[in-house]
Amino acid sequence: MLIVSAIVSGLSLGAMYGLIALGYHVTYAVSNTVNFSQGSSVMLGAVLCYTLWITFGLPVALAIPLALLLCALFGLAVERFLVRPFVARGSNAWLMATVAGGIILDNAVMFGFGKEPRSLPSALAVSPVSVFGAGVYPLQLIIPVIGLAIALALHVLLNRTAAGKRLLAVVQNPAAARLMGIDVKRAIALSFAASAVLAGVAGMLIAPLLSVSSDMGLMFGIKAFAVAILGGIGSASGIMAAGFLYGLAEALITATLGSSYTQILVFSAVIAALALMPNGLFGRAAVKKV
Amino acid sequence: MARFLLPFAILLGAAALAGFCLVAESYTLFVIALIALTVIVGVGLNILLGLAGQVSLGHVGFYAIGAYVSGILILKGWDFFAALPVAVLVAGLVGALLALPALRVSGPYLAMVTIAFAFIVEHGLIEWRDVTGGANGLMGILPPSIGPLVFAEKEMALLAVALATLCLLGFWRLSDSRLGRAMRAVRDSEVAAQSVGLNPVSLKTLAFALSAALAGLAGAVFAPLLMFISPGSFPFSQSILFLFAVVLGGAGTVLGPVIGALVVAGLPELLSDLAEYRLLIFGALLLGVLWIAPEGLVGLLARLKRIDPRPARDTGADVSALLRPEKAAPLVVEALGISFGGVKAASGVGFTAQPGAVTAVIGPNGAGKTTVLNMIGGFYRPDAGTIRLGAADNLAGAPAYKVARAGIARTYQTTQLFGTLSVVENVRIAGADAQTAEALLAFVGYGGALAARADDLPHVDRRLVEIARALATRPRVLLLDEPAAGLMRADKDALGALLRRIAQAGIAVILVEHDMALVMGISDHIVVLDAGRPIAEGAPAAIRANPQVIAAYLGGTQTRARARPTPWQGPADAVLSALRLTAGYGAAPVLEDVEIEVRPGELVALLGANGAGKSTAMKAVSGLLRPVSGDIVLKDVRVSTLPAHRIARMGLALVPEGRQVFPELSVRDNILLGASARRDAPDAATLEQELEAQFARFPRLKERAASRAGLLSGGEQQMLALARGLMAKPDILLLDEPSLGLAPAIINEVFDVLADLREEGVTLLLVDQMAALALTVADRAYVLESGRVVKAGTARDLSGDAALEAAYLGARPAAS
Amino acid sequence: MVRSLRVSRFALSRRAAVLGLGAAVLFGAPALAQETIKVGLVAALSGQSAKSGEAITRGLEVAIDEINAAGGVLGKKIELVRRDDESNPAKGVVAARELVQKEKVAAFFGGIDTPVSLAIVPFANQAKVPFIGVWAAGTGITRNGAPENYVFRVSAVDELVDEAMIDFGVKTYKTAKPGLMLINNPWGESNEKGLKAAAAAKGLTLAGAEKFDNADVDMVPQLTRLKEAGADTIFLVANVQPAAQVVKSLDRMGWNVPVVSHWGPAGGRFTELGGPSAEKVQMVQTYTFSGNLSKKGQTVLAAIKTKYPQVTTLADITPAVGIANAYDAMHLLALAIAKAGTTDGPELRKAFYEIGTYEGLIKTYSKPFSPTNQDALGKDDYIFTHFKGAEIVPVN
Repeated sequence: MLIVSAIVSGLSLGAMYGLIALGYHVTYAVSNTVNFSQGSSVMLGAVLCYTLWITFGLPVALAIPLALLLCALFGLAVERFLVRPFVARGSNAWLMATVAGGIILDNAVMFGFGKEPRSLPSALAVSPVSVFGAGVYPLQLIIPVIGLAIALALHVLLNRTAAGKRLLAVVQNPAAARLMGIDVKRAIALSFAASAVLAGVAGMLIAPLLSVSSDMGLMFGIKAFAVAILGGIGSASGIMAAGFLYGLAEALITATLGSSYTQILVFSAVIAALALMPNGLFGRAAVKKV
Repeated sequence: MARFLLPFAILLGAAALAGFCLVAESYTLFVIALIALTVIVGVGLNILLGLAGQVSLGHVGFYAIGAYVSGILILKGWDFFAALPVAVLVAGLVGALLALPALRVSGPYLAMVTIAFAFIVEHGLIEWRDVTGGANGLMGILPPSIGPLVFAEKEMALLAVALATLCLLGFWRLSDSRLGRAMRAVRDSEVAAQSVGLNPVSLKTLAFALSAALAGLAGAVFAPLLMFISPGSFPFSQSILFLFAVVLGGAGTVLGPVIGALVVAGLPELLSDLAEYRLLIFGALLLGVLWIAPEGLVGLLARLKRIDPRPARDTGADVSALLRPEKAAPLVVEALGISFGGVKAASGVGFTAQPGAVTAVIGPNGAGKTTVLNMIGGFYRPDAGTIRLGAADNLAGAPAYKVARAGIARTYQTTQLFGTLSVVENVRIAGADAQTAEALLAFVGYGGALAARADDLPHVDRRLVEIARALATRPRVLLLDEPAAGLMRADKDALGALLRRIAQAGIAVILVEHDMALVMGISDHIVVLDAGRPIAEGAPAAIRANPQVIAAYLGGTQTRARARPTPWQGPADAVLSALRLTAGYGAAPVLEDVEIEVRPGELVALLGANGAGKSTAMKAVSGLLRPVSGDIVLKDVRVSTLPAHRIARMGLALVPEGRQVFPELSVRDNILLGASARRDAPDAATLEQELEAQFARFPRLKERAASRAGLLSGGEQQMLALARGLMAKPDILLLDEPSLGLAPAIINEVFDVLADLREEGVTLLLVDQMAALALTVADRAYVLESGRVVKAGTARDLSGDAALEAAYLGARPAAS
Repeated sequence: MVRSLRVSRFALSRRAAVLGLGAAVLFGAPALAQETIKVGLVAALSGQSAKSGEAITRGLEVAIDEINAAGGVLGKKIELVRRDDESNPAKGVVAARELVQKEKVAAFFGGIDTPVSLAIVPFANQAKVPFIGVWAAGTGITRNGAPENYVFRVSAVDELVDEAMIDFGVKTYKTAKPGLMLINNPWGESNEKGLKAAAAAKGLTLAGAEKFDNADVDMVPQLTRLKEAGADTIFLVANVQPAAQVVKSLDRMGWNVPVVSHWGPAGGRFTELGGPSAEKVQMVQTYTFSGNLSKKGQTVLAAIKTKYPQVTTLADITPAVGIANAYDAMHLLALAIAKAGTTDGPELRKAFYEIGTYEGLIKTYSKPFSPTNQDALGKDDYIFTHFKGAEIVPVN
């Protein structure tokens, strides 16, 4: 029962880590940059959903897409103001700039949204169901499914649609993609929007289990970065696998050894894994040229 | 004595600050101490980031380790001044330990390792309760005392300022020392650093350890300053602020961390009145500073500094004598071979390079020349064969820095200078003292300023400095990879003379070069490779007349193409024209005042030896490279300022050099992507039809429609790139080196397709090494040499022209 | 080139401006003759614990308004100067130094984080300026061993709360085997000690002590271990969000066990976050605005609603303890200043011991401080409460 419960929550957290980490992946694949305020995008998704739905009373079917749209706009803004000006000058300072952006957003939301955590209601997180004797909320079972479904949908979107293939072309060979008439700058901006939307979805899904507050994203952002790196930041499927692995490891260590050592052990494992496999568990080495 | 200006200014500033400390009130002193500690950590991080080029988001971990070691020891009754070195040592050791996994990774992976480290330290401090006091921390850490003098804020501030001053002076000393230059060299170009005998791993480990030790030093002072430490005093966000301090100030600059520390540790104090709005405003201000100066505030100022224009003077030293190796020995290469992913890039390569002679390795593009050089230089591990220098051990498979230390120096196809180092520093790093470095620079004919930044040099100077740097290692063998590429004729001649002088000093010079005039003019011995195998060896005159060699270069007996049955006749208004086009990468233009015109339905060839500027022309026309000056007109529209994707959408398609297929996408998807630029927005059915048409033209692609493009053979990839280009239904199709690296039978197929297209009325601009072949299919041609059009005319007229053969193989010597 | 020149000149002038401003603020501007008496606050105003800083601010400001409306103290108005410590002890110390040495506050208040307060204590004693804790409950804050102790507190004391919790459990639920659920932070750590000592004093054996993190969503493993070890009462130390997760985890397990909690859950919308079962949790409080309010309580409640329009219902007044503690502490400080007749630290400290009777919000204080007990609230001042809907009501 203890283990079942741990596995269920490990899988649902892992799916979230995976989704957020996919956000790091898409921008890195397209432009070799990442948004280090990705945790803030997670928070933004949850906060916007709460605000539009509960505070403004919009129907949920409208609130969710609207919140995601705003997340996408945030992603575009990050690219336009925090990444592009630095990349254009050949500077790596986008790393610091996106961190600063995250600080600004978190604090701005603190004043707009309020300082106390609120609960995003969900009918799926009220009465537990029994799985092998362990009580879990239906939402906990659904989250990994949704997470996988979104990852799969993303995969299909990229590999089965013309627009997706154009994006893949940019990833694989930006110069050749330009020769095909593909606007690479737009593709990069798009990838940042997609990245923020993925994080926003994760924020909305996890909020009913946790709570909504202006600082909820920070640890998610960091752990998801660990997942992205562990999976190999260039490999989408590797990242989803690493997400589940990470979530399960956390939950199982907590369940067996207690939560005191969870972070120490998990982060040590990350260092050890990278020392042994410098391109992540599922990543491929780039060929070195002289 | 301008170089002592900076340390003098630091000392003066420190003295003024110390004087101020004597009268300042206690809060101010406390803030000064905190800023000084941030400077110390910043200097440490600057060694890592600014000198060695490694990023760390975990430095708060070392800061905490220093603070806890000193705090725990002081609480155990140790004297602070005894605890301090222990704290520094422990932090340094942990830093060296972290370097082990950290140096195996790079980029975001390195960032993650250091982030994980910071979290492990934080949670470790919480859980190791018996020693660290757990989450509630350690209280009552007493400030140090010397005799009756108990340190209060004033003394602590003075101590912190003194230590920070020492660190700044130390950094100034380090960055200008051999060690500091070596670290910067590793950062600028790890490859080149190895080739001057530096070991990147040990240098980066040292940087990590030093950097951690300084963070530990700051932490060790922090504990008694605050008198209380807990894990909450070392939040992860502090790591980011440390990095901010270095980046904001300017990584690699001596004073950068001072400015940075003022911003990240001082600014929040100015903003303290904002209470809950402080972080918001602080974040916005940080962003503002980044926008203004992404390379740091001090870096911004450094850009304005005038560079001492003093050139290298001939010191009268006998450089030839200096260069003469003590034990001259031939380099003997036997049966060298290597494969990449099952493809043999080189096999059975063997030759002897005698000291005092120039040995050239030549061959058409893709023949495996650079691969051979990389095996000798230690960058590739050969699968077979031996490399011996005299009677010494087999060097095959030894790491690059060991090869360099054995006496084999090299230069690179794209120069690998240490870009942020000055010219003279680049040479000194290879082991020469200042005087020798200057003499060497004069010897190679470098006429620019000694103090110029290598990144700012024009192309020809980069080549010369790279040679001087290689010579500074006192080599017995000098490997040169296309040293003449991109040089003007006069520079090439000077280079040839230089290489002869180097050989005369007793060094074995091995030259890989496309410029045949140069090769034929200075070589004692020539080895010709084709498709990874040696096909001829001998003296220049014999090689020049060898029919096998001529065929390998111009495309000879094994290849054929179909000429247009009747001469082309069509409208005279051009589809595409380049007007006085000048373009290049950086300072020196590769193309100068080039005028080209392609008319509807015509097949025009652009010919010339490697490095003549053919591919540059293609890139400029397609928008991948913005021209420096001149115009490009496509269908009466000026496109020279448009980005590549817009030009593509206007009806120009380029089949780029090296195919550039999308390796992870299927063959089918690759072809369909070609239609992305179409303005007629064809529906799915039309696309499907056109796809079938391409499959009919290239039946081999149909068989492999579903497989990943990356798995195709070179020839198939070329077909794929062609099909992809044709899907755009372009008004003009550009082809860059379609025959490169292909077997003769495949080349024939490709040229058959080109002839078909020509007869279907497609407008084509073709760049190809195989001049004879290109001229057969072409209607008209331009011959480029050193970036200029030297000849233009109908293909028929040009094919017999001696100027053409000369452009490829150099002029036939008159007396042979 | 022209462009880069222009940019850098801008940067230069900007840098000069920042430096100049810095010099002016840090080194210059001697304090003008004080028209007001300044009191300080060092608390978490941003980040995870921002709500606590806001509550303390409200309590202090309402009290200051009352005092100033009545003519101030020593003929001067009182002015509040606030500093954000970001929950970081180092920042807290810097802020305390700034308040004392630059702003010249007469006394200053502390926030929610025990480590921050612990870090400030030695400085307060050394600077001889009263430091009044209104939230952080760490025992060592007031019992710091200094011969001249300048640290006072109007708040709970962990050690006493822990005794009260165990007493309550034994009395109400006949607890025989307590199971501890503790947040993995300094607060949890200090209560682990206190609860273990209190249980041992009652001769109880623990079923276990389990930890969890702020962001954990699943406490089932920890609770399962306690259940299997035979725990009959859960003693909970956590803030509202993780406390809500504990309640939800109990729900999922279907384990109906009494929960006695430190005051954390009162810091937010516990029933909104934890669901209906959250009402079963019994919490220690020093004050609640619910139930039969005293006259003083009604006045303060009205004043809060007027001053902060965003407060409309009782559910918006969270955490009540922060407001109430701060309110009473401010009034006690004003009495001490009046008694001392000066804002001089040592005199002020002595005056604290001479405060007579003050009819406060939490209780009527009578000689609240003495050199041997610098805590104004004791074990008998704690009340046990639980949520009813969005309100906190006392246990009857």
